[in-house]
Amino acid sequence: MSVEPLDAAAAQEHLEMVNRILAESQQRLCSGGEHFVVWGIGSAYITVLFQLVHGGLLPPAAAWSVPIVIAACAVFSIVRGRQTRRVLQRSSLLQREFFNVLWLTLGLAFVVDVAVFNIFPGLASAAIWSVAEAIVLLYIGMHGNRRAQIAGVLVIVSLVVANFASPGIAGYVLGAGMLVGYAGFGASELLARE
Amino acid sequence: MDELLLSKVRLGVVAELLNYDWVTFSELVRSLDTTNGNLGAHIVKLVEAGYVDEEKSFVNRRPLTRYRLTPRGRAAFADHVAQLQSLLKAAP
Repeated sequence: MSVEPLDAAAAQEHLEMVNRILAESQQRLCSGGEHFVVWGIGSAYITVLFQLVHGGLLPPAAAWSVPIVIAACAVFSIVRGRQTRRVLQRSSLLQREFFNVLWLTLGLAFVVDVAVFNIFPGLASAAIWSVAEAIVLLYIGMHGNRRAQIAGVLVIVSLVVANFASPGIAGYVLGAGMLVGYAGFGASELLARE
Repeated sequence: MDELLLSKVRLGVVAELLNYDWVTFSELVRSLDTTNGNLGAHIVKLVEAGYVDEEKSFVNRRPLTRYRLTPRGRAAFADHVAQLQSLLKAAP
């Protein structure tokens, strides 16, 4: 390939173009608010349900709705994720890394829930979900999203409060943290997008 | 210097792809403010050189072509930009 070599002026022009493009491509993380709303409501439902069953307000058979709720949330995320990927004009490397963190964190919480329940019984497994949600929110917060930072702190505060609350209400506190922190963050992202 | 990246359009394509996983053809046309024909002619050279991966699919029955930078393209871009910077430093 024979091409004219660049002079300093042309090199300057090319570098300026590169710098402009790179500056424009430093995007904020797009978290997909609907996933947070669905998983926030789902996890809060499960946590409160366990509290109600534990308190004798619901029969143990009610716990059978848990796998249905988790499966419904997972199906929603998979279907919605595929739709979003197809429509996106651009998909950033940061975005891909974020989805890896999201799936790894929530996936591990899921494994703890279904396979490590003897070590993390009852509310402990709900608390694991809160920890996973706080990690995801604070990861988004690290990339400049102030709402995610606040939501992550709210989830952590709910964990600490639940720890010192009476056992009769600890599940409600955790559930409130998931609802306000995780689902609330998702709702705020959806509102901000519009 | 990398002769393939001496073209401003091709250098622009690689820079556009640098921070993204995949970028569609139409989005590249829009961001680089060029024409379909011009971009198509340049991008085919980047694909042939192994700097860029191309993926063709159909979304809602409409064709969608998108591109992703390869590790080879990423390394070539870094070398080329370093050489541009050296050229500028050496200039009187």
